[in-house]
Amino acid sequence: MKILVPVKRVCDPDNANKVKVSDDGSSVTSDGLEWKPNPFDEYAVEAGLRLNENAPKNEKLGETVVVSFGASDVVQTMRQTLAMGADRGILVQADDAELDSMVVARALKSLVDAEQPDLVLMGKQAVDGDSNAAGQMLAEMLGWPMATFAMNIATDDGGKTLTVGREVDTGVLTLKVTLPAVVTVDLRIVAPDAVSNGVTPADHKYNDGARYASLKGIMQAKKKKIDQKKLGDLGIDTGLTTTYPKFELPPARTGSCEFVETVDELVDKLHNEAKVL
Amino acid sequence: MAEDNPLLSDRHVAFMLHEVLDAQSLCALPYFAEHSRETFDLFVGACAKLSREALLPAYKSMDEEAAHFEDGRVHTHPVMRELYPQMVELGMLTAVRPFDVDGQQMPLTVASSGFAYAMAANLSAFGFCMLTTGAAHLIESFGSETLKRDYMRKMYSGEWTGTMALTEPGAGSSLGDLRTRARPTEQGHYLIDGAKVFISGGDNSLSENIVHLALARIEGAPAGSRGISLFAVPRLRIQDGALVPNDVQAAGTFHKLGWRGIPSIALNFGDGGDCHGYLVGEPHKGLSYMFQMMNEARIHIGLHAVATAAVAYQESLEYARTRPQGRLPGMAADEPPVPIIQHPDVRRMLLRQKAIVEGGLALVLATARYADLSLHAVDDTQRERASAMLELLTPITKTFPSEKGFESNALAVQIHGGYGYTSEYLPEAWLRDQKLNSIHEGTTGIQSMDLLGRKVLKTGGASVTTLADEIEPSLERARSSAHLASHAGALETALARVREVSEQLLGTAMENPMAALSHSVDYLDMLATLVIGWQWLEMATAAQRGLNASPGDADALFYDGKLRAAAYWMRTELPRVAALADLCVSCEDSFSGMDPESF
Ligand SMILES: Cc1cc2nc3c(=O)[nH]c(=O)nc-3n(C[C@H](O)[C@H](O)[C@H](O)COP(=O)(O)OP(=O)(O)OC[C@H]3O[C@@H](n4cnc5c(N)ncnc54)[C@H](O)[C@@H]3O)c2cc1C
Repeated sequence: MKILVPVKRVCDPDNANKVKVSDDGSSVTSDGLEWKPNPFDEYAVEAGLRLNENAPKNEKLGETVVVSFGASDVVQTMRQTLAMGADRGILVQADDAELDSMVVARALKSLVDAEQPDLVLMGKQAVDGDSNAAGQMLAEMLGWPMATFAMNIATDDGGKTLTVGREVDTGVLTLKVTLPAVVTVDLRIVAPDAVSNGVTPADHKYNDGARYASLKGIMQAKKKKIDQKKLGDLGIDTGLTTTYPKFELPPARTGSCEFVETVDELVDKLHNEAKVL
Repeated sequence: MAEDNPLLSDRHVAFMLHEVLDAQSLCALPYFAEHSRETFDLFVGACAKLSREALLPAYKSMDEEAAHFEDGRVHTHPVMRELYPQMVELGMLTAVRPFDVDGQQMPLTVASSGFAYAMAANLSAFGFCMLTTGAAHLIESFGSETLKRDYMRKMYSGEWTGTMALTEPGAGSSLGDLRTRARPTEQGHYLIDGAKVFISGGDNSLSENIVHLALARIEGAPAGSRGISLFAVPRLRIQDGALVPNDVQAAGTFHKLGWRGIPSIALNFGDGGDCHGYLVGEPHKGLSYMFQMMNEARIHIGLHAVATAAVAYQESLEYARTRPQGRLPGMAADEPPVPIIQHPDVRRMLLRQKAIVEGGLALVLATARYADLSLHAVDDTQRERASAMLELLTPITKTFPSEKGFESNALAVQIHGGYGYTSEYLPEAWLRDQKLNSIHEGTTGIQSMDLLGRKVLKTGGASVTTLADEIEPSLERARSSAHLASHAGALETALARVREVSEQLLGTAMENPMAALSHSVDYLDMLATLVIGWQWLEMATAAQRGLNASPGDADALFYDGKLRAAAYWMRTELPRVAALADLCVSCEDSFSGMDPESF
């Protein structure tokens, strides 16, 4: 099947403690931070590749297209996913300040209209803004079935529907969605047996986690196409819905530890001192 | 702590590749034309990711549950069966090999930067890759087409592993004394008979077959190093299209200080009289073939040592930033304690680690760059010059990180205080691992004689002149910067002294070679101190360039760190050159003249 996977470039979450806010609080500064593909998006790429391959034979069954938004150097992050095995990329050039979940969803809709994929496979959220919104908005705009927080995916009916196990607070909720559809993935989607496409034998053992870009894949990725478009040229409403008036860092942790005698005392301290209850 | 250890600083590795060594310029050479900064960065990034996510988490249990010998076979840690295919898939076996053997023609300079992460994360795990690729490379360079088809391909593809089987009980440093025999047969193969020791990866439970690249003496061959030949000796040989046992027997594993994830074993060839060996290249040229591989192998040992020191440095740095203990002078007793990084002596230890680790990495990568140029530069004179530099630097690149890295690893233990001495924390394990690097692939003593004897005296001092010519442009660049001129002056003085000493030793060697060599280890120490000073000058120059371009806060701090480490080396280490120089020319004989009975 044809799968579209949006991939966002985010600051390395391992560097979270180095995130700084500009002096006037108007923005988060990325100076000195390293860029990575959003981990959930990387998992979506992995799930897409698994759906689209006969793993032991190393055969492709469909096309996996990655889409990113951002400055032209986002291409580097995209190449990482092409080196994993995605087939081509589309970069929509835009300033980070021009983007929010709604603009991204509208832009994705226009790309979906043009590309006509069978499935849009996305991370459940980006680890920088943690909005968890673009996928849901996109499904609504497209009028497509949606399954969020997927922890396993299986194709059925010769690829006409997907059975998706959703990770919810009370356990696993299983949904059947008819393609074309939007699916957003959670962390467990990269477990060794989380994805089955009816072609790769059930006993094939995937590694836990997203696959690594191999050097061979990296050399091939160089030759794969990344189409560059401008946000302004997509013909969509680019008005922002979400604005951030001010940023501030959470207060530094003191790291002190105190033992309390009773539960009442604990509740009292949480309520009156920490003000978290 | 340990699980978040970055192994090496990504920023530093990028600085080395792009701001100091200009790795991208290598892409102008036809051999590397398929590469670009993008392939470089992606490969190094992929190595870092696999190392952090898979190799490091497996390290502790591989250290604790060493391979064991049972029922005639060696059983390696089961996790290796997952890790090895991942390393192979990533391209760790064939990254630098040519396209025609399914390699990717990556410059060694860049591949080494990626490999450093794997080594830092799990030396033993990466050791299987290094040995296999080294053994396959020997067949690639000198073996017949049949050997390439039957054995090399399966090694490069990761199906079979390989070893280097040189050492014997009576032949360690002195391989010329080895006794394993090879008897020619009419069918063309040789029958091998002998015993090897310390063969790393010599048996394992992660591959179907193991191909030993073994040194042996063909019957009737001359004594000494001129009578040694190289053979491929598989554990299972191919016979009539099937794999059959080849009379290669594991005789037991050594219990060892470190590197516990990869077994070093005693190996018997031909106990049953049926061990086939296939001659690689021509008879009696085995040692010279090995020597051609030696430079790359020794660069790798230097890299092991840098990586092992680097991971421990990262660990102690994080520990020092978070461990509260004590107060600074003037603080009240009821104020909370400060993190130990606030204490000047802890910073001294950290800066020393930084200077050794980053100076060592710079030297290893610079040497790898000479290796790339010696093979692939288009211009003849450039290739020759790079070759001369490679020859001279190799023993230093192998030894400096091994010896000073051990000191740096000990500092990591020291910074962790009592906790560092316990096996709850990893610094003690890295210290144990590190010790091997000054022993295998030629001990420090052997390296020092290689440097002073073969590389300096035998070239009539020409190699030192080449070194001086290479250092000169660095001095020139630094002299023009007000901040670096004093460093350039210090390095120039030290270089002049090294040239004088080398000249004098040439004279001494004419009359009394033993005396000239008596302080060879001090000579190596002197040259290493100079060469690392050169590397720090190069890094300081790049850092100053970065600072002049008004960087952001994070980069400004990064560059400042480089300048301080450079200053540290120039002020506290470089002055040792003069004292070592005096020692070398004095032929001072306190130990060399001592009667064994007087100890
Ligand atoms: C963990 C481990 C893994 C190894 N893996 C392999 C492997 O995969 N394949 C392989 O073939 N070998 C391997 N070795 C063997 C290793 O290369 C040898 O141990 C090394 O070459 C030293 O030889 P030796 O142990 O016989 O020491 P010796 O040669 O006996 O040396 C003992 C001491 O004497 C000094 N010395 C010896 N000769 C001289 C001299 N001429 N002048 C001055 N000083 C001298 C040495 O510097 C050393 O300090 C491994 C060893 C270890 C410990």
